[in-house]
Amino acid sequence: MAKFFKKIRGWGSRPGTIAVLVIGLVVGAVFFGTAASFMVYANSEKFCATSCHEMTYLAAEHKDTIHDKNRSGVRATCNDCHVPHGYIPNYLAKLGLFYDYWGHFVTHSIDTKEKFEAKRYELAKRVWGYMKANDSRECRHCHTTSKMDPELQSEKAKARHEKLRTEGLTCIDCHFGIAHTEPDGPGPQELTAAANAAKK
Amino acid sequence: MALRVLAHVRRMVAGKKAGVVLLAGAAISVVGLSLFGTTMIYTSTEAFCATNCHEMANNTTREYQDTVHDKNRTGVRAICPDCHVPHAPVPLYIAKFGALNDLWSHHITHSVDTREKFEAARPMMAQRVWTYMKGNDSRECRHCHDATKMDPEKQSPIAQAQHARAKREKMTCIDCHFGIAHHEPQGGPGPQELEVDKSLIPRSAIF
Repeated sequence: MAKFFKKIRGWGSRPGTIAVLVIGLVVGAVFFGTAASFMVYANSEKFCATSCHEMTYLAAEHKDTIHDKNRSGVRATCNDCHVPHGYIPNYLAKLGLFYDYWGHFVTHSIDTKEKFEAKRYELAKRVWGYMKANDSRECRHCHTTSKMDPELQSEKAKARHEKLRTEGLTCIDCHFGIAHTEPDGPGPQELTAAANAAKK
Repeated sequence: MALRVLAHVRRMVAGKKAGVVLLAGAAISVVGLSLFGTTMIYTSTEAFCATNCHEMANNTTREYQDTVHDKNRTGVRAICPDCHVPHAPVPLYIAKFGALNDLWSHHITHSVDTREKFEAARPMMAQRVWTYMKGNDSRECRHCHDATKMDPEKQSPIAQAQHARAKREKMTCIDCHFGIAHHEPQGGPGPQELEVDKSLIPRSAIF
């Protein structure tokens, strides 16, 4: 232990070491500030919805849906549904941005409306799979089930939410195609049924 | 000049351990800022805000329970900081500093430590919040409620008419929507009667 302290004192003994430390502090602060600001900026509608033309299709579909415009003006923008809110999952998701760059700059996988429409079902399936796997975590970040008042919901909604609890379903099993155009093909529940049938 | 600065920097980093010191500095910054950020987030949770001191837990939190901002059709909520703490970084830091005042009254002056004292102070505290909200055009309300994204056709005819009036007469959310999450104080002026003295508005409200 004493040796350890001596070592540290050794580092600080040179003139200018404090200056180097201060430079280090500044470098660290700038790095951290930039990274954190980028996390916030990359979640804004300005970046997410309009920065690349691929997303503008999706932004146009989101416009005037219930998550964009409603009675109270409380909204959910891109990141609320599509980016995790916990630290580590958020960072991992942000790294996934590179995949979007790859698609945008290199493979041009959905750079026209036609290509996008052709790929829509595959893209939707990917998001549904993600949401099913984490029990619609991003939905539940805003929608707290325990704070829903069933008495304010329609009879149909009450019955279906009851079914969700008894049959182990999750939000996206029913609430799909609500913010973007629904693709042709089997929905989340049919996909699960098909997967289960294939397993047997 | 530039050369002299460069020479100076070279002398400073001449030591073998300069790189280590630099990295140590950077690490201290990252850890320090992470702790700071985490504090900001933790002190804005319900676990801290609503239940940590009995002044909040026994009065304001209880009143808030089952109001529309706590429990509703969709389960989308607004908790303490959504309405009472600014969302932009600098105003947020200022507001967190202001919370030291709460520690002061909790530990030293005991200003609202009983239900009776709280009730007696309620009109004064409500007026303080209303003034704050009027002073920044209900900024915290608008952080969630985007007026341009409200669909008037889904609102009741009364709401439509009142919102049109609010726009015409340059009123703000809190002018009408007060006493919705906590009990409305008995006596004293309501938000519409309040004169807003700009000098009394905390700086964190104006930024």
